[in-house]
Amino acid sequence: MPDRSARVPFRRVDAIATHALTKHYGSPRRWGHISAGVPPIRALDDLTLAVQAGEVFGFLGPNGAGKSTAIRLLLGFIHPTAGRAEVLGLDVATAGAGLRGRIGYLPGGIALYDGLTGTQLLDYLAAFYARPPVLRGGLVDQLGLSARDLGRPIRDYSRGMRQKIGIVQALQHDPELAILDEPSEGLDPLMQRAFYAILDERKAAGRTVFFSSHVLSEVERVCDRVGIVRAGRLVALERVAELVARRRRHVEIRLGAPAPALTSAIAALVGVSTFEARDGRLSFGLDGDVTRLLRLLEGAALTDLTIEPARLEDAFLELYDEPAP
Amino acid sequence: MSAILFRRTWAAQRVRLAFVMLALVAWGFLLPVIFATFGKEMGALARSGTFANVFDVMSRFTGGDVFSIRGTVALGLVHPIALALVTIQVVGFAAAAVAGERQRGTLEVLLARPLERRVLHRTLLAATLLFAALTEAAVLGGIVAGALLFGVAGDLRAVDIALCWLNGVALFGALGAISLAASVSFDRVGPALGIALAVTLVGYTVEFVGTLWPDAAWLRPYSLFRYFQPTKILAGAFEPGDLLVLGAILGAAVAWAAWLFPRRDLAAPS
Repeated sequence: MPDRSARVPFRRVDAIATHALTKHYGSPRRWGHISAGVPPIRALDDLTLAVQAGEVFGFLGPNGAGKSTAIRLLLGFIHPTAGRAEVLGLDVATAGAGLRGRIGYLPGGIALYDGLTGTQLLDYLAAFYARPPVLRGGLVDQLGLSARDLGRPIRDYSRGMRQKIGIVQALQHDPELAILDEPSEGLDPLMQRAFYAILDERKAAGRTVFFSSHVLSEVERVCDRVGIVRAGRLVALERVAELVARRRRHVEIRLGAPAPALTSAIAALVGVSTFEARDGRLSFGLDGDVTRLLRLLEGAALTDLTIEPARLEDAFLELYDEPAP
Repeated sequence: MSAILFRRTWAAQRVRLAFVMLALVAWGFLLPVIFATFGKEMGALARSGTFANVFDVMSRFTGGDVFSIRGTVALGLVHPIALALVTIQVVGFAAAAVAGERQRGTLEVLLARPLERRVLHRTLLAATLLFAALTEAAVLGGIVAGALLFGVAGDLRAVDIALCWLNGVALFGALGAISLAASVSFDRVGPALGIALAVTLVGYTVEFVGTLWPDAAWLRPYSLFRYFQPTKILAGAFEPGDLLVLGAILGAAVAWAAWLFPRRDLAAPS
Protein backbone atom coordinates (compact mmCIF):
# COMPACT_ATOMS: atom_id res chain seq x y z
CA MET A 1 0.00 0.00 0.00
CA PRO A 2 1.51 3.38 -0.97
CA ASP A 3 2.31 5.67 1.94
CA ARG A 4 0.90 9.06 0.98
CA SER A 5 1.41 10.53 4.41
CA ALA A 6 4.43 12.61 3.48
CA ARG A 7 2.44 14.76 1.06
CA VAL A 8 -0.04 16.30 3.51
CA PRO A 9 1.32 18.68 6.14
CA PHE A 10 -0.42 18.80 9.53
CA ARG A 11 -1.85 22.00 10.92
CA ARG A 12 -0.23 23.15 14.13
CA VAL A 13 -3.59 23.69 15.82
CA ASP A 14 -4.57 20.05 15.55
CA ALA A 15 -4.54 18.08 18.80
CA ILE A 16 -4.83 14.90 16.76
CA ALA A 17 -4.04 14.53 13.09
CA THR A 18 -3.92 11.30 11.16
CA HIS A 19 -3.27 10.80 7.52
CA ALA A 20 -4.00 7.57 5.69
CA LEU A 21 -3.56 5.77 8.99
CA THR A 22 -3.90 2.08 8.30
CA LYS A 23 -3.62 -1.03 10.37
CA HIS A 24 -3.80 -4.49 8.87
CA TYR A 25 -3.05 -7.46 11.08
CA GLY A 26 -0.93 -10.12 9.44
CA SER A 27 -0.11 -7.73 6.61
CA PRO A 28 2.84 -8.27 4.26
CA ARG A 29 4.48 -5.00 5.27
CA ARG A 30 4.62 -5.97 8.90
CA TRP A 31 5.62 -9.61 8.63
CA GLY A 32 7.11 -9.89 5.17
CA HIS A 33 4.67 -12.54 4.02
CA ILE A 34 1.07 -13.64 4.39
CA SER A 35 0.29 -17.13 5.53
CA ALA A 36 -1.20 -19.11 2.65
CA GLY A 37 -4.97 -18.74 2.54
CA VAL A 38 -5.11 -16.25 5.43
CA PRO A 39 -5.84 -12.71 4.22
CA PRO A 40 -4.78 -9.79 6.44
CA ILE A 41 -7.43 -8.39 8.78
CA ARG A 42 -8.19 -4.80 7.83
CA ALA A 43 -8.73 -3.27 11.26
CA LEU A 44 -8.36 0.32 10.04
CA ASP A 45 -8.09 1.65 6.49
CA ASP A 46 -6.86 5.03 5.36
CA LEU A 47 -8.08 7.05 8.35
CA THR A 48 -7.55 10.74 7.77
CA LEU A 49 -8.95 13.14 10.31
CA ALA A 50 -7.98 16.17 12.36
CA VAL A 51 -9.20 17.02 15.84
CA GLN A 52 -8.65 20.63 16.73
CA ALA A 53 -7.28 21.75 20.06
CA GLY A 54 -10.07 22.57 22.52
CA GLU A 55 -12.59 20.41 20.70
CA VAL A 56 -14.75 17.60 22.09
CA PHE A 57 -14.66 14.96 19.37
CA GLY A 58 -16.85 11.88 19.28
CA PHE A 59 -15.62 8.76 17.55
CA LEU A 60 -18.48 6.45 16.71
CA GLY A 61 -18.87 3.05 15.20
CA PRO A 62 -20.26 -0.40 15.90
CA ASN A 63 -18.26 -3.13 17.58
CA GLY A 64 -15.27 -4.13 15.50
CA ALA A 65 -15.41 -0.98 13.36
CA GLY A 66 -11.86 0.05 14.22
CA LYS A 67 -12.41 2.60 17.01
CA SER A 68 -10.19 0.92 19.57
CA THR A 69 -7.57 0.19 16.90
CA ALA A 70 -7.45 3.90 16.06
CA ILE A 71 -7.13 4.82 19.74
CA ARG A 72 -4.38 2.25 20.28
CA LEU A 73 -2.51 3.63 17.26
CA LEU A 74 -2.76 7.16 18.69
CA LEU A 75 -1.27 5.95 21.97
CA GLY A 76 1.50 3.94 20.30
CA PHE A 77 0.30 0.60 21.68
CA ILE A 78 0.25 -0.77 18.14
CA HIS A 79 2.15 0.29 15.06
CA PRO A 80 0.57 1.42 11.78
CA THR A 81 0.88 -0.64 8.62
CA ALA A 82 0.83 2.61 6.67
CA GLY A 83 0.18 6.30 7.23
CA ARG A 84 1.06 8.38 10.22
CA ALA A 85 -0.44 10.06 13.26
CA GLU A 86 0.49 13.19 15.15
CA VAL A 87 -0.80 13.94 18.63
CA LEU A 88 -0.29 17.41 20.15
CA GLY A 89 2.03 18.17 17.25
CA LEU A 90 4.30 15.18 17.87
CA ASP A 91 4.71 12.11 15.70
CA VAL A 92 3.34 9.18 17.67
CA ALA A 93 5.96 6.84 16.19
CA THR A 94 8.86 8.80 17.67
CA ALA A 95 7.45 10.95 20.49
CA GLY A 96 7.47 8.25 23.18
CA ALA A 97 6.87 8.80 26.86
CA GLY A 98 7.02 12.60 26.72
CA LEU A 99 3.86 12.68 24.64
CA ARG A 100 1.95 10.32 26.92
CA GLY A 101 2.78 12.64 29.81
CA ARG A 102 0.44 15.17 28.19
CA ILE A 103 -2.40 12.72 27.56
CA GLY A 104 -4.99 11.16 29.84
CA TYR A 105 -6.32 7.78 28.74
CA LEU A 106 -9.31 5.76 29.84
CA PRO A 107 -9.34 2.29 28.24
CA GLY A 108 -12.64 0.62 27.45
CA GLY A 109 -13.60 -1.84 30.19
CA ILE A 110 -10.67 -0.66 32.27
CA ALA A 111 -8.73 -3.23 34.31
CA LEU A 112 -7.26 -1.99 37.58
CA TYR A 113 -4.92 -3.31 40.25
CA ASP A 114 -7.42 -5.05 42.50
CA GLY A 115 -5.12 -5.26 45.52
CA LEU A 116 -4.77 -1.49 45.83
CA THR A 117 -7.25 0.90 47.38
CA GLY A 118 -8.68 3.67 45.23
CA THR A 119 -6.36 6.24 46.77
CA GLN A 120 -3.30 4.01 46.39
CA LEU A 121 -4.12 3.41 42.73
CA LEU A 122 -4.63 7.10 41.97
CA ASP A 123 -1.40 8.00 43.81
CA TYR A 124 0.53 5.31 41.97
CA LEU A 125 -0.70 6.26 38.52
CA ALA A 126 -0.33 10.01 39.17
CA ALA A 127 3.27 9.59 40.34
CA PHE A 128 4.44 8.90 36.77
CA TYR A 129 3.47 12.39 35.60
CA ALA A 130 5.41 15.59 35.98
CA ARG A 131 2.07 17.37 36.49
CA PRO A 132 0.55 17.02 39.95
CA PRO A 133 -2.99 15.56 40.18
CA VAL A 134 -4.53 19.01 40.58
CA LEU A 135 -7.99 17.97 39.42
CA ARG A 136 -8.38 14.88 41.60
CA GLY A 137 -10.29 16.53 44.46
CA GLY A 138 -12.83 18.12 42.14
CA LEU A 139 -13.31 14.99 40.05
CA VAL A 140 -13.76 12.79 43.11
CA ASP A 141 -16.40 15.18 44.45
CA GLN A 142 -18.23 15.45 41.13
CA LEU A 143 -18.34 11.69 40.68
CA GLY A 144 -19.49 11.12 44.24
CA LEU A 145 -16.47 9.11 45.41
CA SER A 146 -16.22 9.44 49.18
CA ALA A 147 -13.04 9.10 51.24
CA ARG A 148 -14.47 5.81 52.49
CA ASP A 149 -14.89 4.57 48.89
CA LEU A 150 -11.33 5.53 48.06
CA GLY A 151 -10.04 3.73 51.13
CA ARG A 152 -11.56 0.39 50.05
CA PRO A 153 -9.71 -2.19 47.94
CA ILE A 154 -10.59 -1.96 44.26
CA ARG A 155 -11.53 -5.64 44.23
CA ASP A 156 -14.64 -4.62 46.23
CA TYR A 157 -15.70 -1.95 43.70
CA SER A 158 -18.75 -2.23 41.49
CA ARG A 159 -18.44 -1.72 37.75
CA GLY A 160 -19.62 1.87 38.03
CA MET A 161 -17.11 2.62 40.79
CA ARG A 162 -14.30 1.21 38.68
CA GLN A 163 -15.37 3.40 35.80
CA LYS A 164 -15.37 6.47 38.07
CA ILE A 165 -11.84 5.67 39.24
CA GLY A 166 -10.89 5.17 35.59
CA ILE A 167 -12.19 8.63 34.73
CA VAL A 168 -10.35 10.21 37.67
CA GLN A 169 -7.03 8.54 36.79
CA ALA A 170 -7.35 9.72 33.19
CA LEU A 171 -8.09 13.36 34.03
CA GLN A 172 -6.56 14.00 37.46
CA HIS A 173 -3.33 15.50 36.08
CA ASP A 174 -5.23 17.95 33.85
CA PRO A 175 -4.03 16.49 30.53
CA GLU A 176 -3.97 18.61 27.39
CA LEU A 177 -5.71 15.77 25.57
CA ALA A 178 -8.04 13.17 27.06
CA ILE A 179 -8.64 9.99 25.06
CA LEU A 180 -11.61 8.17 26.53
CA ASP A 181 -12.90 4.82 25.28
CA GLU A 182 -16.59 4.34 26.18
CA PRO A 183 -16.30 6.68 29.18
CA SER A 184 -19.89 6.59 30.42
CA GLU A 185 -20.12 2.80 30.35
CA GLY A 186 -21.43 1.55 33.69
CA LEU A 187 -22.34 5.01 35.02
CA ASP A 188 -25.88 5.62 36.27
CA PRO A 189 -27.84 8.56 34.75
CA LEU A 190 -26.88 10.90 37.60
CA MET A 191 -23.21 10.11 37.21
CA GLN A 192 -23.51 10.41 33.43
CA ARG A 193 -24.76 13.93 33.95
CA ALA A 194 -21.85 14.65 36.30
CA PHE A 195 -19.48 13.25 33.68
CA TYR A 196 -20.94 15.52 30.98
CA ALA A 197 -20.37 18.48 33.31
CA ILE A 198 -16.74 17.38 33.68
CA LEU A 199 -16.37 17.29 29.90
CA ASP A 200 -17.90 20.76 29.65
CA GLU A 201 -15.35 22.01 32.19
CA ARG A 202 -12.48 20.42 30.28
CA LYS A 203 -13.69 22.09 27.13
CA ALA A 204 -14.05 25.45 28.90
CA ALA A 205 -10.47 25.06 30.13
CA GLY A 206 -9.34 24.67 26.51
CA ARG A 207 -8.52 20.98 26.78
CA THR A 208 -9.23 18.53 23.99
CA VAL A 209 -11.38 15.44 24.48
CA PHE A 210 -11.46 12.55 22.03
CA PHE A 211 -13.87 9.85 22.97
CA SER A 212 -15.51 6.81 21.52
CA SER A 213 -19.04 5.94 22.47
CA HIS A 214 -22.09 3.90 21.62
CA VAL A 215 -24.38 6.28 23.51
CA LEU A 216 -25.50 8.57 20.70
CA SER A 217 -27.51 10.88 22.91
CA GLU A 218 -24.37 11.67 24.90
CA VAL A 219 -22.36 12.30 21.76
CA GLU A 220 -25.08 14.65 20.57
CA ARG A 221 -25.09 16.32 23.98
CA VAL A 222 -21.34 16.89 24.45
CA CYS A 223 -19.51 16.68 21.12
CA ASP A 224 -18.64 19.46 18.73
CA ARG A 225 -17.85 17.07 15.90
CA VAL A 226 -18.10 13.38 15.22
CA GLY A 227 -16.27 10.89 13.09
CA ILE A 228 -18.14 7.73 12.20
CA VAL A 229 -16.09 4.70 11.35
CA ARG A 230 -17.41 1.57 9.77
CA ALA A 231 -15.56 -1.59 8.75
CA GLY A 232 -12.28 0.21 9.37
CA ARG A 233 -13.13 3.22 7.21
CA LEU A 234 -14.22 6.73 8.10
CA VAL A 235 -17.69 7.20 6.61
CA ALA A 236 -18.56 10.60 8.08
CA LEU A 237 -16.67 13.46 9.67
CA GLU A 238 -18.60 16.62 10.46
CA ARG A 239 -20.13 18.87 13.07
CA VAL A 240 -22.89 17.23 15.07
CA ALA A 241 -25.29 20.08 14.30
CA GLU A 242 -24.63 19.84 10.54
CA LEU A 243 -24.92 16.06 10.53
CA VAL A 244 -28.25 16.26 12.30
CA ALA A 245 -29.50 19.19 10.18
CA ARG A 246 -29.04 17.41 6.88
CA ARG A 247 -30.47 14.13 8.07
CA ARG A 248 -33.94 12.95 7.25
CA ARG A 249 -36.86 14.12 9.39
CA HIS A 250 -40.09 12.19 9.55
CA VAL A 251 -43.14 14.28 8.60
CA GLU A 252 -46.85 13.48 9.04
CA ILE A 253 -49.64 15.76 7.78
CA ARG A 254 -53.40 15.32 8.23
CA LEU A 255 -55.40 17.28 5.69
CA GLY A 256 -58.72 18.86 6.67
CA ALA A 257 -60.05 18.34 3.10
CA PRO A 258 -58.84 16.55 -0.06
CA ALA A 259 -56.06 18.58 -1.72
CA PRO A 260 -54.66 16.70 -4.73
CA ALA A 261 -52.59 19.65 -5.95
CA LEU A 262 -50.92 20.10 -2.58
CA THR A 263 -50.33 16.35 -2.29
CA SER A 264 -48.63 16.24 -5.69
CA ALA A 265 -46.56 19.33 -4.88
CA ILE A 266 -45.29 17.81 -1.64
CA ALA A 267 -44.51 14.49 -3.32
CA ALA A 268 -42.46 16.35 -5.92
CA LEU A 269 -40.56 18.44 -3.36
CA VAL A 270 -36.78 18.03 -3.34
CA GLY A 271 -35.68 15.92 -0.35
CA VAL A 272 -38.96 14.05 0.05
CA SER A 273 -38.73 10.27 0.15
CA THR A 274 -40.86 7.25 1.11
CA PHE A 275 -43.97 9.32 0.37
CA GLU A 276 -47.35 7.80 1.30
CA ALA A 277 -50.82 9.36 0.97
CA ARG A 278 -53.84 7.57 2.43
CA ASP A 279 -57.20 8.84 3.75
CA GLY A 280 -56.06 12.43 3.97
CA ARG A 281 -52.87 11.44 5.83
CA LEU A 282 -49.51 12.20 4.23
CA SER A 283 -46.40 10.52 5.56
CA PHE A 284 -42.85 10.96 4.25
CA GLY A 285 -39.20 11.48 5.03
CA LEU A 286 -37.65 14.88 4.44
CA ASP A 287 -33.94 15.57 3.97
CA GLY A 288 -32.46 19.01 4.48
CA ASP A 289 -34.23 22.34 4.85
CA VAL A 290 -37.89 22.35 6.00
CA THR A 291 -38.57 25.93 4.81
CA ARG A 292 -39.84 24.92 1.38
CA LEU A 293 -42.29 22.48 2.89
CA LEU A 294 -43.61 25.10 5.30
CA ARG A 295 -44.09 27.54 2.40
CA LEU A 296 -46.15 24.95 0.53
CA LEU A 297 -48.30 24.34 3.60
CA GLU A 298 -48.97 28.04 4.14
CA GLY A 299 -52.74 28.59 4.02
CA ALA A 300 -53.53 24.87 3.55
CA ALA A 301 -56.34 23.31 5.60
CA LEU A 302 -54.46 21.02 8.00
CA THR A 303 -55.78 19.26 11.08
CA ASP A 304 -52.36 18.15 12.28
CA LEU A 305 -48.68 18.51 11.42
CA THR A 306 -45.81 16.55 13.00
CA ILE A 307 -42.16 17.02 12.08
CA GLU A 308 -40.02 14.68 14.13
CA PRO A 309 -36.60 16.24 14.73
CA ALA A 310 -33.65 14.46 13.20
CA ARG A 311 -31.47 12.77 15.81
CA LEU A 312 -27.88 11.67 15.63
CA GLU A 313 -29.16 8.14 16.07
CA ASP A 314 -31.04 8.41 12.79
CA ALA A 315 -27.98 9.78 11.05
CA PHE A 316 -25.90 7.03 12.55
CA LEU A 317 -28.31 4.28 11.54
CA GLU A 318 -28.67 5.74 8.05
CA LEU A 319 -24.93 5.65 7.57
CA TYR A 320 -24.93 2.08 8.74
CA ASP A 321 -27.71 1.08 6.38
CA GLU A 322 -25.64 2.21 3.42
CA PRO A 323 -23.58 -0.43 1.63
CA ALA A 324 -20.14 -1.08 3.09
CA PRO A 325 -17.43 1.21 1.67
CA MET B 1 14.71 2.54 35.39
CA SER B 2 11.47 3.76 36.95
CA ALA B 3 11.69 4.16 40.72
CA ILE B 4 7.89 4.42 40.92
CA LEU B 5 7.35 1.09 39.16
CA PHE B 6 10.18 -0.51 41.14
CA ARG B 7 8.64 0.53 44.47
CA ARG B 8 5.24 -0.77 43.35
CA THR B 9 6.79 -4.08 42.22
CA TRP B 10 8.55 -4.42 45.55
CA ALA B 11 5.34 -3.70 47.45
CA ALA B 12 3.43 -6.28 45.38
CA GLN B 13 6.08 -9.00 45.82
CA ARG B 14 7.37 -8.42 49.33
CA VAL B 15 5.06 -10.84 51.16
CA ARG B 16 5.75 -13.76 48.82
CA LEU B 17 9.44 -12.87 48.83
CA ALA B 18 9.47 -12.86 52.63
CA PHE B 19 7.92 -16.35 52.79
CA VAL B 20 10.33 -17.72 50.17
CA MET B 21 13.33 -16.17 51.94
CA LEU B 22 12.17 -17.53 55.28
CA ALA B 23 11.89 -21.02 53.81
CA LEU B 24 15.34 -20.68 52.23
CA VAL B 25 16.91 -19.50 55.49
CA ALA B 26 15.36 -22.49 57.25
CA TRP B 27 16.62 -24.84 54.54
CA GLY B 28 20.11 -23.34 54.65
CA PHE B 29 20.16 -23.49 58.44
CA LEU B 30 19.21 -27.17 58.35
CA LEU B 31 22.23 -28.21 56.25
CA PRO B 32 24.99 -27.56 58.85
CA VAL B 33 22.67 -29.00 61.51
CA ILE B 34 22.37 -32.25 59.54
CA PHE B 35 26.10 -32.30 58.93
CA ALA B 36 26.91 -31.61 62.57
CA THR B 37 24.49 -34.29 63.73
CA PHE B 38 24.96 -37.09 61.18
CA GLY B 39 27.99 -36.14 59.06
CA LYS B 40 30.63 -38.19 60.88
CA GLU B 41 28.43 -41.30 61.09
CA MET B 42 27.45 -41.03 57.41
CA GLY B 43 31.09 -40.56 56.40
CA ALA B 44 32.12 -43.61 58.38
CA LEU B 45 29.31 -45.61 56.73
CA ALA B 46 30.45 -44.51 53.29
CA ARG B 47 34.09 -45.36 53.99
CA SER B 48 33.09 -48.79 55.32
CA GLY B 49 32.17 -49.82 51.76
CA THR B 50 28.69 -51.07 52.67
CA PHE B 51 26.90 -48.67 50.28
CA ALA B 52 29.95 -47.59 48.33
CA ASN B 53 28.24 -47.37 44.94
CA VAL B 54 25.34 -45.27 46.23
CA PHE B 55 27.61 -42.80 47.94
CA ASP B 56 29.89 -42.67 44.93
CA VAL B 57 26.97 -41.72 42.70
CA MET B 58 25.76 -39.14 45.23
CA SER B 59 29.13 -37.52 45.49
CA ARG B 60 29.47 -37.46 41.70
CA PHE B 61 26.24 -35.43 41.32
CA THR B 62 27.39 -32.67 43.62
CA GLY B 63 30.93 -32.97 42.31
CA GLY B 64 32.67 -33.63 45.58
CA ASP B 65 32.67 -34.93 49.09
CA VAL B 66 29.23 -34.79 50.68
CA PHE B 67 30.57 -35.83 54.06
CA SER B 68 32.22 -32.50 54.71
CA ILE B 69 30.59 -29.18 55.53
CA ARG B 70 31.59 -27.88 52.07
CA GLY B 71 30.01 -30.88 50.39
CA THR B 72 26.89 -30.49 52.49
CA VAL B 73 26.61 -26.81 51.61
CA ALA B 74 27.11 -27.58 47.91
CA LEU B 75 24.46 -30.29 48.04
CA GLY B 76 22.08 -27.88 49.77
CA LEU B 77 22.58 -25.23 47.10
CA VAL B 78 21.87 -27.56 44.16
CA HIS B 79 19.14 -29.51 45.94
CA PRO B 80 15.72 -29.38 44.20
CA ILE B 81 14.11 -27.87 47.32
CA ALA B 82 16.40 -24.82 47.27
CA LEU B 83 16.22 -24.48 43.50
CA ALA B 84 12.42 -24.80 43.46
CA LEU B 85 12.04 -22.09 46.10
CA VAL B 86 14.30 -19.67 44.22
CA THR B 87 12.58 -20.58 40.93
CA ILE B 88 9.15 -19.80 42.40
CA GLN B 89 10.26 -16.29 43.28
CA VAL B 90 12.62 -15.37 40.46
CA VAL B 91 11.40 -17.33 37.42
CA GLY B 92 7.75 -17.18 38.48
CA PHE B 93 7.85 -13.43 38.97
CA ALA B 94 9.72 -12.72 35.72
CA ALA B 95 7.51 -14.96 33.56
CA ALA B 96 4.33 -13.28 34.82
CA ALA B 97 5.72 -9.73 35.06
CA VAL B 98 4.62 -8.46 31.63
CA ALA B 99 2.43 -11.28 30.27
CA GLY B 100 0.42 -11.23 33.50
CA GLU B 101 -0.24 -7.50 33.19
CA ARG B 102 -1.23 -8.07 29.55
CA GLN B 103 -3.59 -10.88 30.51
CA ARG B 104 -5.23 -8.86 33.28
CA GLY B 105 -5.46 -5.78 31.05
CA THR B 106 -3.47 -3.54 33.38
CA LEU B 107 -0.47 -3.21 31.04
CA GLU B 108 -2.22 -0.63 28.87
CA VAL B 109 -3.11 1.41 31.96
CA LEU B 110 0.57 1.39 32.85
CA LEU B 111 1.88 2.08 29.34
CA ALA B 112 -0.53 5.01 28.96
CA ARG B 113 1.73 6.75 31.52
CA PRO B 114 4.92 8.48 30.42
CA LEU B 115 6.81 5.20 30.71
CA GLU B 116 8.84 3.70 27.87
CA ARG B 117 8.56 -0.02 27.29
CA ARG B 118 12.34 -0.35 27.52
CA VAL B 119 12.27 1.36 30.92
CA LEU B 120 9.49 -0.97 32.04
CA HIS B 121 11.59 -3.97 30.99
CA ARG B 122 14.74 -2.63 32.66
CA THR B 123 12.85 -2.00 35.89
CA LEU B 124 11.38 -5.49 35.96
CA LEU B 125 14.82 -6.93 35.15
CA ALA B 126 16.28 -5.02 38.09
CA ALA B 127 13.56 -6.44 40.34
CA THR B 128 14.27 -9.95 39.00
CA LEU B 129 18.00 -9.58 39.75
CA LEU B 130 17.23 -8.20 43.21
CA PHE B 131 14.99 -11.19 43.96
CA ALA B 132 17.73 -13.55 42.74
CA ALA B 133 20.28 -11.78 44.95
CA LEU B 134 18.03 -11.83 48.03
CA THR B 135 16.93 -15.46 47.70
CA GLU B 136 20.50 -16.67 47.17
CA ALA B 137 21.61 -14.54 50.13
CA ALA B 138 18.82 -16.08 52.22
CA VAL B 139 19.93 -19.68 51.68
CA LEU B 140 23.60 -18.84 52.18
CA GLY B 141 22.75 -16.72 55.21
CA GLY B 142 20.92 -19.68 56.73
CA ILE B 143 23.91 -21.94 56.03
CA VAL B 144 26.38 -19.54 57.63
CA ALA B 145 24.12 -18.99 60.65
CA GLY B 146 23.68 -22.75 61.15
CA ALA B 147 27.38 -23.46 60.66
CA LEU B 148 28.37 -20.78 63.18
CA LEU B 149 25.77 -21.89 65.71
CA PHE B 150 26.78 -25.55 65.54
CA GLY B 151 30.50 -24.86 65.38
CA VAL B 152 31.13 -26.40 61.94
CA ALA B 153 32.04 -23.23 60.04
CA GLY B 154 35.78 -23.89 60.23
CA ASP B 155 36.12 -25.11 56.63
CA LEU B 156 33.97 -22.40 55.10
CA ARG B 157 35.69 -19.28 53.78
CA ALA B 158 33.79 -15.99 53.47
CA VAL B 159 35.16 -15.36 49.97
CA ASP B 160 33.92 -18.76 48.76
CA ILE B 161 30.47 -18.11 50.23
CA ALA B 162 30.44 -14.76 48.43
CA LEU B 163 31.45 -16.43 45.15
CA CYS B 164 28.73 -19.06 45.61
CA TRP B 165 26.25 -16.22 46.05
CA LEU B 166 27.54 -14.52 42.91
CA ASN B 167 27.34 -17.77 40.94
CA GLY B 168 23.77 -18.37 42.16
CA VAL B 169 22.74 -14.81 41.31
CA ALA B 170 24.26 -15.22 37.83
CA LEU B 171 22.38 -18.51 37.29
CA PHE B 172 19.01 -17.21 38.41
CA GLY B 173 19.69 -13.83 36.83
CA ALA B 174 20.09 -15.63 33.50
CA LEU B 175 17.00 -17.79 34.09
CA GLY B 176 15.07 -14.69 35.20
CA ALA B 177 16.16 -12.72 32.11
CA ILE B 178 15.05 -15.61 29.85
CA SER B 179 11.73 -15.74 31.70
CA LEU B 180 11.28 -11.97 31.33
CA ALA B 181 12.09 -12.23 27.61
CA ALA B 182 9.40 -14.91 27.33
CA SER B 183 7.03 -12.66 29.29
CA VAL B 184 7.39 -9.73 26.87
CA SER B 185 6.93 -12.10 23.93
CA PHE B 186 3.46 -13.40 24.84
CA ASP B 187 0.06 -11.96 25.70
CA ARG B 188 -0.77 -14.64 28.24
CA VAL B 189 1.04 -16.03 31.26
CA GLY B 190 0.66 -19.68 30.20
CA PRO B 191 3.11 -19.75 27.28
CA ALA B 192 5.60 -17.44 29.02
CA LEU B 193 5.60 -19.52 32.19
CA GLY B 194 5.75 -22.71 30.12
CA ILE B 195 8.90 -21.61 28.33
CA ALA B 196 10.51 -20.33 31.54
CA LEU B 197 9.83 -23.56 33.42
CA ALA B 198 10.87 -25.68 30.45
CA VAL B 199 14.25 -23.95 30.28
CA THR B 200 14.69 -24.39 34.04
CA LEU B 201 13.46 -27.97 34.39
CA VAL B 202 15.03 -29.32 31.21
CA GLY B 203 18.30 -27.62 32.14
CA TYR B 204 18.25 -29.14 35.60
CA THR B 205 17.37 -32.60 34.26
CA VAL B 206 20.13 -32.44 31.65
CA GLU B 207 22.69 -31.52 34.30
CA PHE B 208 21.40 -34.22 36.64
CA VAL B 209 21.48 -36.93 33.98
CA GLY B 210 24.77 -35.69 32.53
CA THR B 211 26.58 -35.93 35.85
CA LEU B 212 25.26 -39.39 36.70
CA TRP B 213 25.44 -40.98 33.25
CA PRO B 214 28.76 -40.52 31.42
CA ASP B 215 27.16 -41.21 28.02
CA ALA B 216 25.00 -38.10 28.48
CA ALA B 217 27.81 -35.90 29.73
CA TRP B 218 28.08 -34.16 26.35
CA LEU B 219 24.70 -32.54 27.04
CA ARG B 220 25.87 -30.72 30.15
CA PRO B 221 27.27 -27.59 28.44
CA TYR B 222 23.77 -26.92 27.10
CA SER B 223 22.36 -26.63 30.60
CA LEU B 224 22.66 -23.38 32.56
CA PHE B 225 23.06 -25.48 35.73
CA ARG B 226 26.39 -26.74 34.36
CA TYR B 227 27.72 -23.26 35.08
CA PHE B 228 26.55 -23.25 38.71
CA GLN B 229 29.36 -25.03 40.57
CA PRO B 230 29.29 -24.34 44.31
CA THR B 231 31.31 -27.49 45.03
CA LYS B 232 34.22 -26.27 42.93
CA ILE B 233 33.97 -22.80 44.43
CA LEU B 234 33.96 -24.14 47.99
CA ALA B 235 36.95 -26.31 47.09
CA GLY B 236 38.80 -23.18 46.01
CA ALA B 237 38.51 -23.92 42.27
CA PHE B 238 36.28 -21.07 41.16
CA GLU B 239 35.98 -20.78 37.38
CA PRO B 240 35.27 -17.20 36.19
CA GLY B 241 34.26 -18.65 32.82
CA ASP B 242 31.05 -19.93 34.41
CA LEU B 243 30.06 -16.38 35.30
CA LEU B 244 30.97 -15.20 31.81
CA VAL B 245 28.74 -17.84 30.18
CA LEU B 246 25.82 -17.03 32.47
CA GLY B 247 26.41 -13.31 31.94
CA ALA B 248 26.42 -13.77 28.16
CA ILE B 249 23.12 -15.69 28.28
CA LEU B 250 21.60 -13.01 30.52
CA GLY B 251 22.81 -10.36 28.06
CA ALA B 252 21.35 -12.21 25.07
CA ALA B 253 17.96 -12.55 26.78
CA VAL B 254 17.97 -8.87 27.72
CA ALA B 255 18.92 -7.85 24.18
CA TRP B 256 16.10 -9.97 22.73
CA ALA B 257 13.52 -8.46 25.06
CA ALA B 258 14.82 -4.91 24.53
CA TRP B 259 14.56 -5.40 20.77
CA LEU B 260 11.19 -7.13 20.68
CA PHE B 261 9.14 -5.41 23.38
CA PRO B 262 9.05 -1.88 21.89
CA ARG B 263 8.20 -3.35 18.46
CA ARG B 264 5.36 -5.58 19.59
CA ASP B 265 1.77 -4.66 18.89
CA LEU B 266 -0.21 -4.62 22.10
CA ALA B 267 -3.67 -5.26 20.74
CA ALA B 268 -6.73 -4.86 22.96
CA PRO B 269 -6.87 -7.45 25.74
CA SER B 270 -9.25 -10.28 24.91
